[in-house]
Amino acid sequence: MIIENTNKEYDVIIIGGGITGAATARDCALRGLKTLLVERGDLCDGASGRNHGLLHSGARYAVTDPEGARECISENKILRRIASSCIDPTGGLFITLPEDSLEYQAKFIQACLDCGIEAEAISPEEALRLEPAVNPALIGAVKVPDASVDPFRLVDANILDAVRHGADLIKFREVTGLIKEDGCVKGVKLGDSEIRSKQVVIAAGIWSARLAEMGGAQISMMPSKGSLLIFGHRLTRMVINRCRKPGNADILVPGDVVSVLGTTSDKVPFEDCEDMKATGDEVSVLLQEGIHLVPALSTTRIIRAYAGVRPLVVADSSASGRNVSRGIVLLDHEKRDGVKGLITITGGKLTTCRLMAEMATDLVCEKLGLKIPCTTALKQLPGSHKRKGGKDPVHKRAAVGRHGSEADMMDFSGKGAGEIICECEQVTRAEIEYAVKNLGVRTISDLRRHTRVGMGTCQGSFCISRVAKVLAEVLGTPEKAQELVDGYLQERWKGMTPVLWGDTLREAEYMHKVHRK
Amino acid sequence: MQETSISTANLEQCLKCNLCTLVCPMLAVNEQYPGPKKAGPDGERYRIKDPEYYDYALKYCLNCKRCEVACPSGVKIGDMIQTARIKYGSQSKVRSLHGLRDWTLASTDFVGGIAATPIAPVANGVLKTGVAKAVLHGTLGVDKHRTFPAYSSRQFETWFRKEAQAAQSGFEKTVSFFHGCYANYNYPQLGKDFVKVVNAAGYGVKLLEKEKCCGIALMSNGFAAKAARQGRINLESIRKAEGPVLTVSSSCTHMMREEYPEVLGLPNEDVKDRIMLLTRWLYPKLQSGEIKLNFRKDFRLKVAYHTACHMQRMGWQQFTIEILRMIPGLELTVLEPNCCGIAGTFGFKKENYGYSQAIGETLFAEIRDAKAQADPSVPFAVVTECETCKWQIEMSTGIQVINPVSILAQALEDR
Amino acid sequence: MKYDVIIIGGGLAGCTAASELSAAGLKVALFSEGLSLHDATVGPASPKAQMHSPYAALSALAAKGVTVFRGDSIIGACLSEDGTSVKMVSSRNLGSEPLEAGAYLLATGKFFSRGIMSNMEKVFEPVFDADVEFEPDHEKWFDPDFFAPQPYEKFGVKTDAEGHVIKGGKSISNLFAAGQVMAGGPMSESEIEASGKAAAGKILKKQ
Repeated sequence: MIIENTNKEYDVIIIGGGITGAATARDCALRGLKTLLVERGDLCDGASGRNHGLLHSGARYAVTDPEGARECISENKILRRIASSCIDPTGGLFITLPEDSLEYQAKFIQACLDCGIEAEAISPEEALRLEPAVNPALIGAVKVPDASVDPFRLVDANILDAVRHGADLIKFREVTGLIKEDGCVKGVKLGDSEIRSKQVVIAAGIWSARLAEMGGAQISMMPSKGSLLIFGHRLTRMVINRCRKPGNADILVPGDVVSVLGTTSDKVPFEDCEDMKATGDEVSVLLQEGIHLVPALSTTRIIRAYAGVRPLVVADSSASGRNVSRGIVLLDHEKRDGVKGLITITGGKLTTCRLMAEMATDLVCEKLGLKIPCTTALKQLPGSHKRKGGKDPVHKRAAVGRHGSEADMMDFSGKGAGEIICECEQVTRAEIEYAVKNLGVRTISDLRRHTRVGMGTCQGSFCISRVAKVLAEVLGTPEKAQELVDGYLQERWKGMTPVLWGDTLREAEYMHKVHRK
Repeated sequence: MQETSISTANLEQCLKCNLCTLVCPMLAVNEQYPGPKKAGPDGERYRIKDPEYYDYALKYCLNCKRCEVACPSGVKIGDMIQTARIKYGSQSKVRSLHGLRDWTLASTDFVGGIAATPIAPVANGVLKTGVAKAVLHGTLGVDKHRTFPAYSSRQFETWFRKEAQAAQSGFEKTVSFFHGCYANYNYPQLGKDFVKVVNAAGYGVKLLEKEKCCGIALMSNGFAAKAARQGRINLESIRKAEGPVLTVSSSCTHMMREEYPEVLGLPNEDVKDRIMLLTRWLYPKLQSGEIKLNFRKDFRLKVAYHTACHMQRMGWQQFTIEILRMIPGLELTVLEPNCCGIAGTFGFKKENYGYSQAIGETLFAEIRDAKAQADPSVPFAVVTECETCKWQIEMSTGIQVINPVSILAQALEDR
Repeated sequence: MKYDVIIIGGGLAGCTAASELSAAGLKVALFSEGLSLHDATVGPASPKAQMHSPYAALSALAAKGVTVFRGDSIIGACLSEDGTSVKMVSSRNLGSEPLEAGAYLLATGKFFSRGIMSNMEKVFEPVFDADVEFEPDHEKWFDPDFFAPQPYEKFGVKTDAEGHVIKGGKSISNLFAAGQVMAGGPMSESEIEASGKAAAGKILKKQ
């Protein structure tokens, strides 16, 4: 259940509503633990919602980090099975350009095969036939089982499953301290109130360091900023990678109806993490590199630029953050720091979220003295169940595309339920009602994360007043519609300004004319 | 870099301002149609992701291109919808009765080739009878209010070869003539009028080596591959043709100039500028004095000019209007450019008849008004370059509609 | 085709000027490439609330004898050798047909209607490549507060005291500007109309 507060005592409290926390909550709930997840904002509001949306095959890491690559391919196969509705099995292509080396490509293929990743070299002609938009100068290409994954839907699916298996969820409340008794963590403080549990799992990404410190444990973390660009539509069918040592802007992912190009990688101070914003320089770097991958990016409209923070745990003092291991970090603070009842799970990747959850939950069970096997790899997530055949009505198709079988939980029967409210992304009233009811939406930005409202080409210019009206009605506060609009536009503006030229500047003029009093 | 987007049909440039939605004649009368923005750029992003998102309601698009005229961003919305229909809509099959009807309506060359022969009077007579109309309405789904345009017993090409071709060699300069199906099968007088005007201008006329229907009806009825085959034949003939290739129908012209490359994928850059309506070619030459036409002194006619949708998209109405203004004794009113609703073969189908007439009503009312205000002692007619607008306006208002080329021919002094 | 005045842009400024000039007996042609920002935002942002005829202004002008080219845009211009006057312009639809006038009015609006355009590096005016006032530093194009006045809204073509458009530092004697395409702003609707009237006045004075 989504709750505001509680006196209940839990087996485990998980801090953080990103993919790691969501997956851990699901695992704990499936194993029958009394579980609570606490998130200070909306689900998927941190790095989980600010990445490529790439389901790694592991190929990208095969040469530099074979262990990580093996984890990826194994989890890749599991997620395709259990989270099919969140995954678009696009396949991936690693292209070698004249300035790269075919020797590296050979080494890359061998490394992939060694890790159990199917990697098939194809001719440049065949690559261009499959993907007419890639740089025609390519000299080699390798097909790998990369895919596109919708991180928002993946988080939601994990949360829905956790909640349906008895977990509780508290959103929009920040953990201000940990309850400590005799050197042992016994729960969390949310301002004035306290909630008790036997174990606390920190799954708060870059913010994990601060939370661990509240419990008296030290984690040395390094925030690594990654900026990305969103282009207006899909330019390619497959994920396109550069076949070289990982660098800036060398991945283009067809995510939902857009293309996502990224990323940069720069060390940033902790205080910047609260308000991440892509800079003009980063946009230039991304574009300049990106056009080597797919030349049409130079003339395709950029809808917005955004940035996320990778929660890298520091082992050495690498300056760029790119040489730091991106492996899974599970910290048993009892063993490590003498703080009982506290576990941190961080690092890793979106692709390995289930494995991270399994590792964290195994440790929780061990601490609780329980021996319950993990079943998360065997059970399908909500949305990924088989649906009845037949063609859906037009107004329902986008919802099915996003939510899979969960779309059947939406009530399209009422008057106006099938009315399209957000036209770019074809979001209906029924979908909005579903998101509010099941995922605890408060603002349009929350709604965006759970439905794609306002994520389209117009970024809300045209439909947002209508969205606000419907949302305010569903929330039961019709007088707050304008407030919702204003908050949303300010948030969108942040991502538009670094790319404010060409058609995006035209859109801005229209947006200002319509929405600024 | 990043100056402007060049994606297909300028998809990216859509700002979602919805001006296209406001001017769409179909959306105004039919709630089932999603409207140009949703059918075009909105839908396109989803169709690129997965063709399953294709919406069959796109069949209601009239292809009038009014959305493109209104768009401040240069998005080729109509082309995008046409392309989607070809790419994702099921290609029509002749198997069902409606399929057969669509094929019959679209296959202008085939049907015209049979009907526009000495059997024409019989065919026309039969098609006009109530029994035939009831049968067509009930079985094929051709609306009972419609009459098939009468077929001529002698095709224009036959007439030209026998009666006019020999005289053309007497001219030093030559233009080529793409006559189109209407002038060939239904109304050869229009072709004769064309020859008269061009000859009066001091030019001889040559036909194309091989002319096929431009394919617009095939394209809109789901026979894109066949339309493209005919397009290739036409472009080949045009490449070989002498001088400019002049036309009398706005829709054929628009099809060959704009939709061949944008929708059917037939490159025409090398010949596009040579394909034009007679008035587009004639106006600058009259203006510069290179061509002088001698008009009758006793010509009297009041006309209301109707800008056909494709004419408006090409933006050439002013050439015709300026030429009409040069004709002494001709009084001209320019009508608001509203859609007549027929959209080629669209309005012939019984399921579309209601939409077709509802869309045209604004235009019909304006035409009736113009006639009511005109001096009854002067003949009154509507002028337009589009033959399907002509059928629609004549059926719906009872007022005669004439192609501007015929008006020119009538106003010229006989030599 | 020859006219007394060719107006480029069918928004509020262009339509106001066209109306004034044709009322003064001039032969006016107006090119409107698509509908304007004004047309797009005159009602609340909802298609049903906007069910007015967005063509009302253009139709009214046509009824007054203005030659209106809907959906056509001026894409090229030919200037005198010294660059101080426009000899003729050409449009996308009319192709090679020379369009000549005694005076030309640039009323193409700002970014929405592509009266001025931008890329990563610069802001420019696409028809005449007139001089444009803008901030070279992209970071200064916008205010991080969405609701604050935005610097980009002030970008626009430079004009001299008589309202002539400036190109290469020189005034073009028969090219005027009106409405949002000019540097400065943003203008209210009444200011745009006033600007159209003022430009018409200057053109009439010159004739």
